[in-house]
Amino acid sequence: MTDKEITIALSGNPNSGKTTIFNNLTGLKQHVGNYPGVTVEKKTGIVDYKGYRINIVDLPGIYSLTAYSLEEIIARNFIVNEKPDVVVDVVDSSNLERNLYLATQLMELNAPLILAFNMTDVVKKSGKEIDIGLLSELFYVPIVEMVGSRGLGSNELLEAVIRVVNSKKEKKVEVKYGEEVENEISRIISVLKKQKVPTFNFDARWIAVKLLEQDREIIDTIKKASGPKYSKVEETVSSSINHITSILRDTPEVIIADARYGFIKGALLEALKETGSVKLDRSEKIDRILTHRILGIPIFALIIWLMFQFVFTLGKYPANWLALGFEKLSVLVTNIVPQGLIRSLLVDGIIGGVGGVITFTPNIILLFFAIAVLEDSGYMARAAFVMDRVMHKIGLHGKSFIPLGIGFGCTVPAYMGSRILENKKDRLVTMHINTFMSCGARLPVYILFAGAFFPAIAGNVIFSIYLIGIIMAVIMAKVLRATRFRGESDPFVMELPAYRMPTLKGILIHTWERAWMYVKKAGTIILAISILMWILFTFPMIGGNYSQDYAGQIEEIEQSFKSGKITSQEYDGEIATVEAEMAGERLAYSTAGRIGRFLEPVFRPLGFDWKMVVATISGIAAKEVIVSTIGTLYSIQETGEQSDSLKTALYKHYTPLVGYNFMLFTLLYFPCMAAMVMFRKEAGTKEMLFQIGYTLLLAWTMSFLVFQIGRIFI
Amino acid sequence: MRRWGLQYRGRDTRRLHQIGEIFSMAAAVPGKKYKIIKIDGGCRLNSRLCAMGFIPGEVFYVSGASRGGPLCVLVKGTKFAIGRGMAERIQIREV
Repeated sequence: MTDKEITIALSGNPNSGKTTIFNNLTGLKQHVGNYPGVTVEKKTGIVDYKGYRINIVDLPGIYSLTAYSLEEIIARNFIVNEKPDVVVDVVDSSNLERNLYLATQLMELNAPLILAFNMTDVVKKSGKEIDIGLLSELFYVPIVEMVGSRGLGSNELLEAVIRVVNSKKEKKVEVKYGEEVENEISRIISVLKKQKVPTFNFDARWIAVKLLEQDREIIDTIKKASGPKYSKVEETVSSSINHITSILRDTPEVIIADARYGFIKGALLEALKETGSVKLDRSEKIDRILTHRILGIPIFALIIWLMFQFVFTLGKYPANWLALGFEKLSVLVTNIVPQGLIRSLLVDGIIGGVGGVITFTPNIILLFFAIAVLEDSGYMARAAFVMDRVMHKIGLHGKSFIPLGIGFGCTVPAYMGSRILENKKDRLVTMHINTFMSCGARLPVYILFAGAFFPAIAGNVIFSIYLIGIIMAVIMAKVLRATRFRGESDPFVMELPAYRMPTLKGILIHTWERAWMYVKKAGTIILAISILMWILFTFPMIGGNYSQDYAGQIEEIEQSFKSGKITSQEYDGEIATVEAEMAGERLAYSTAGRIGRFLEPVFRPLGFDWKMVVATISGIAAKEVIVSTIGTLYSIQETGEQSDSLKTALYKHYTPLVGYNFMLFTLLYFPCMAAMVMFRKEAGTKEMLFQIGYTLLLAWTMSFLVFQIGRIFI
Repeated sequence: MRRWGLQYRGRDTRRLHQIGEIFSMAAAVPGKKYKIIKIDGGCRLNSRLCAMGFIPGEVFYVSGASRGGPLCVLVKGTKFAIGRGMAERIQIREV
């Protein structure tokens, strides 16, 4: 027997416990994607129950079905267009009046509804009693009691779903908006009917209400579909709005909302027995400290500091193990695969590139674990509240601070972390300036260059680079806000949910999703880019076109070793020197080397020569690669950032001004390819190209100014 | 000026209000209860505010505020952080 397929949509207010219930129902059988064309996350999952294959779609958490936010439009369009077999509205039963507002709108929409009364344990504890049977009769909607945090009620919910699927809905509750408004609604309905305006999947009464509420989305749809006939409708609607406003002294959308609350209050008057008083004591007490006028920011700083310690200090150990593992793997491959192109591709290209990215996975896992704990416990909203005043000044949201802080560690998780910003403009501006938070991989470059040119004040020089990064971020945030991401940002209203103990399951699922997404990226697109970079740095091959007879030199060294003229130590050293020189020539001969020389004129005004250009190109793979590339170009066998011979070579070739300028350029141009891949995933190709373009331009301009002005003084 | 976040500098809105006086939520003081008299944010924002429970006639409690920063208010059993710009569009009266 084939399973019958049904689709249910899970809706509910933010913080109603919707995600917990979704996790309980689907377990790990989840898929995270995006709604087409937008960055709102779409979670779907599958559960098999009693011969039914139930597809569950987790709609975004919303307060209402007005067209205020993208989330609301998405949820409404899904319910209207996809026509799920059942809509389950998750309701926080400890806060019925507010949560039933969305439920009321779903009833108005005539969706096949089930109400899932979540957190019923909290209700009982607070001394309240809900007459579920009575409410169900008043609303003509089945109601299931649940306690999502303890996994109770999932089976009852699925039973109810199957009952609803197999029965015809006979009655529908109708919310009345009061005589004045009802008169205008009938007036609009008759005009809609007379003008034969298409109403799509909606019923005429619903459309009329939406027109009175001035729902722009609906107005536009109707306008487009009805053409010139719309003017008649528009006339009626605006006269209705004027009529209501003049008589009731408030605009229709407020009157209608008031009527909905009235309807809810009426029902609750009969069905909700309050035996105790409403309490928010515990949360209120915690908030007194955490959102304290003066203590709030230090506490926030401490929590974020602890989070970074957790992510980067604790994460260092498994990251090092992974790095060691990849090192062992390259040694193994080196031993098995004979010398040649294949080995170079495997070791330098694939293991080097993908391994370098995979190494950060422990940090990613810990980071998202920490974010999930902060979000689920309710602290994240407080952090935004506390930081809003500061971040608001540079045109950002309070929550922007979190991805920006993460950016000092690694830009890749920082981009992923930008998802906590709901508003698209806030998110994009935050992402676009995140690169100026100098990431950990750039530090080796600074250590090398500051050590080479400013050995006495290296620390201060590196600090100045970090500081310039932060200043650039503030400036660019303001510039972007005033130009490309101009316009009204969302007014700041955000729920501060009651503090709650996060559930381990929810946190683990959340962490797993992110980590898996990251690993998948490393295995696919980053693999491809790694191979491409390898090709750029390998081909065309130099063959026999070395400038000197290196083979002869090696032979000579070997001979003198065999004859006992030099010790084995000297032998190793001399061979390495020759090999380093050969590597340098190979690199100069490769495509990357040629591009470097081709682009040299562009970078000349910054004081860069072609070697620096090649190093900059290699930094696209990962910024720490710059150090080893420079080492290869200067034919130095030991190429760490602490290498003294490398520092000496740099000092010989460049002035301190150019050295500083190179650090500045490294700071400002876009982070590595892994970060760009993530940027594209989060914000789309266009924004990624903008990021690449504007950071290059900015890096060039700043370095140009510093070099040209600096030259006058030095 | 607004975009640069300078609009509140140097202005102290926290003066004492007389009984029955109607003023904007931005001037509300922590620890007191107020009644919403009118919301005036245009139909889109009004719908949003209503959905969050900010509706004329509703009584809310201000649990925290810092000068220039958002207010922290308790309405219909849920706590919200609400920015000053938003708060200025809500007319209230002390109860």
